[in-house]
Amino acid sequence: MAKMQIVNNIRTLRFMAGEMTQADLGARIGMTRQTIAAIEAGKYSPTLEAAFRIAQVFGKTLDEVFQWEG
Amino acid sequence: MTDTSNPSLAEAGMPFREKSAWVAVAGMVVGYGGYFAMVATLPHQMIDGDPPGMVLKLFALLTIATIVRLVILGAGTLAIRAASPADAKAPADERDRAIAGRSAAIAYYVMMTGMIIVGMFMPFTAHGWAITNAALFAIVVAELARYGTIIAAYRRGWHG
Repeated sequence: MAKMQIVNNIRTLRFMAGEMTQADLGARIGMTRQTIAAIEAGKYSPTLEAAFRIAQVFGKTLDEVFQWEG
Repeated sequence: MTDTSNPSLAEAGMPFREKSAWVAVAGMVVGYGGYFAMVATLPHQMIDGDPPGMVLKLFALLTIATIVRLVILGAGTLAIRAASPADAKAPADERDRAIAGRSAAIAYYVMMTGMIIVGMFMPFTAHGWAITNAALFAIVVAELARYGTIIAAYRRGWHG
């Protein structure tokens, strides 16, 4: 079975949201900018609650921000 | 050192708690590393036999090692706070808490193993300061395991 992993479009969405910084996004959802960086880099998978918060900031649904790919 | 090959990680820099862990490791290695290096050079019978004056000598060495560790920890913490005050003030988020929990759990098993050896086996083979030093060594190794896990978790990713 192919190894599945969570990928995301946060970096693109930040760019489209007026080049929002990692620190700005982190402040809006209660995370450090390093954690946002780790999520973008695929080094940390956020909790479901944090994932919903991130999607809410960009006005997107969860699957528009996060995908599960093999 | 930040992973500069990834633009997201390069933009964010090293987490404050990882820097704190590096400072703590430096304090432990320099302070207690120096102490154990000195103890290791003493003749075995001097430690095991508790000759007169040895208790005070070892206690003085241990005090110096602890002071060295605290000075490095204090100065290092002040330096990294000054370098990134906003990061220092930021409360721990879910990733920080998960990493702290995992590192404490690993350190617990290291400490338990050390204490079983020190408390259940060493009394039959060693005496006095040898047991004290072994207990201290177990604590230092457990702390290094905790800080090492913190550093590894931040650097290599967390999918706990």
